[in-house]
Amino acid sequence: MENTVTLNKAVNVVAYYFKNTGARLKCFPKRMEVDGRRVEFTETGLRHPVQKGQQLVHVFDMTDGNADYRLEFDAKNLDWRLVSIADMSYGAPLMRET
Amino acid sequence: MKYALNDESPQILHIDLNSCFATVEQQARPLLRGRPLAVTNRLTVNACVIAASYEAKAHGVKVGMRLSEAKELISDLITVETDPPKYHYVYQQLARIMKSYSPAVTMKSIDEGIIDFHGTRQAINKRPLTAIGYEIKQRLRDDVGRWMKCNIGIAPNRFLAKTAASLHKPDGLDVITHANLRQVLADLQLTDLTGIAERNQARLNACGIYTPLQFLDASAKVLKNQVFKSIIGEDWHQRLRGWEVDNHSWGTKSIGRQFVMDDYHASEETVRSRLALLCESTGLKMRHKGLCARGISIHLRYKNGDHWQARKAFRSTFFSNGEIYRRATLLFNQHPRADYVVELGVTAYLLETSHSHQMSILDEVNREVRLTDAVDQINRRYGNYSVTFASSASAKNKIKQKIPFGSTRYFELLIQQS
Repeated sequence: MENTVTLNKAVNVVAYYFKNTGARLKCFPKRMEVDGRRVEFTETGLRHPVQKGQQLVHVFDMTDGNADYRLEFDAKNLDWRLVSIADMSYGAPLMRET
Repeated sequence: MKYALNDESPQILHIDLNSCFATVEQQARPLLRGRPLAVTNRLTVNACVIAASYEAKAHGVKVGMRLSEAKELISDLITVETDPPKYHYVYQQLARIMKSYSPAVTMKSIDEGIIDFHGTRQAINKRPLTAIGYEIKQRLRDDVGRWMKCNIGIAPNRFLAKTAASLHKPDGLDVITHANLRQVLADLQLTDLTGIAERNQARLNACGIYTPLQFLDASAKVLKNQVFKSIIGEDWHQRLRGWEVDNHSWGTKSIGRQFVMDDYHASEETVRSRLALLCESTGLKMRHKGLCARGISIHLRYKNGDHWQARKAFRSTFFSNGEIYRRATLLFNQHPRADYVVELGVTAYLLETSHSHQMSILDEVNREVRLTDAVDQINRRYGNYSVTFASSASAKNKIKQKIPFGSTRYFELLIQQS
């Protein structure tokens, strides 16, 4: 995406919240620490699984009200990665086809 | 042939997600909500808009429009590239919700489906269908997210249910019965009916039919012999009266893949690398469906706008990537070097059920089967194109799997590829 900064770096998710979605209780990140900074998520966008070969990764699209964060949780290794941050400075020019 | 209106109480419920990809993106990224958004398969000026949010549609952005044209309409239009796993997840959630009401669920495409309530009302779905419709809307919001909206149409047949679902967008719920059919059709244009576009409209106009009500009042004979000049006319006659004529599924006739070149001045070698990857993708789809083919066709579009196409049917069937590429190359070598190739496609046809599990008396065939199986297993484990032709290696990062319109046949493959 145009305005997205891809980081793909390991982060600590230090607080969670739980929500009843349909038939199941699901867990979502609430607070994340990255580069000594604390990010408090205010809303969950979408949580969806992604298959990477045989590996299943859960993708969480979260926001803190200022930027959208894409987090990945590896259910096998139990680690979190901050994949990208998208802020509100939209509208960069499109690539021109040669 | 039934001449009266179908007065059965409506049992078909059609669900249509509103601006599906755009809404899902807005659900996933709360900061995009309420903003004009266009979803495209590629972030280039010539890419077309495959979904626009309602905020963008309000400014005239339409599906199919070039991104550069959309940007002219809205200077601060936000553009995002498609993200298939998200849409697949929402599709699965929608299908799961629908299947909890009736086993007779048909997913028509990635963003719409039909529930047939025939035979379920006595025991499990005793409530009115409108109540079930509102419950589905709420469950979609609870299970996926509060920004998700869907249109619901309830009617005696699939066509009228789809028409009902398009009456009040977004987030509408409408019912069409024999009692209000004329009233609903009176407010519509011919092209508002699914299946009536410019050409069919011209056919109808030529016979003096200008409105859906005149279409409804036309006799089956006129529609069959004068308007459509085929059995299709009788189908329309029944469809408009609420009788079911669309409850059938079509088999797979051909499998293929096409690609608009990433470079409009690509060398022959580059085009061949793209062709190799398209052949691999076609082979993957074919084996996923348990099919093999006897015919192959390729088509090219040149920079000057000319098209070229060639096809050939073979005596023996084929299913492996190597064989598809070899046979496609036979055809490709014949293409006139008129100009730069800007679009190419490969299609396998004359499809048959594959008997690759049956051991052959020819050892070379057995070797080919075992090799293909081994490569497919590796690719399933580590993601598609982990093992690929050396010649298509450069195309691997250029040709990405995109969202298919109309069909959900290759969804599992698509997710594996992403």
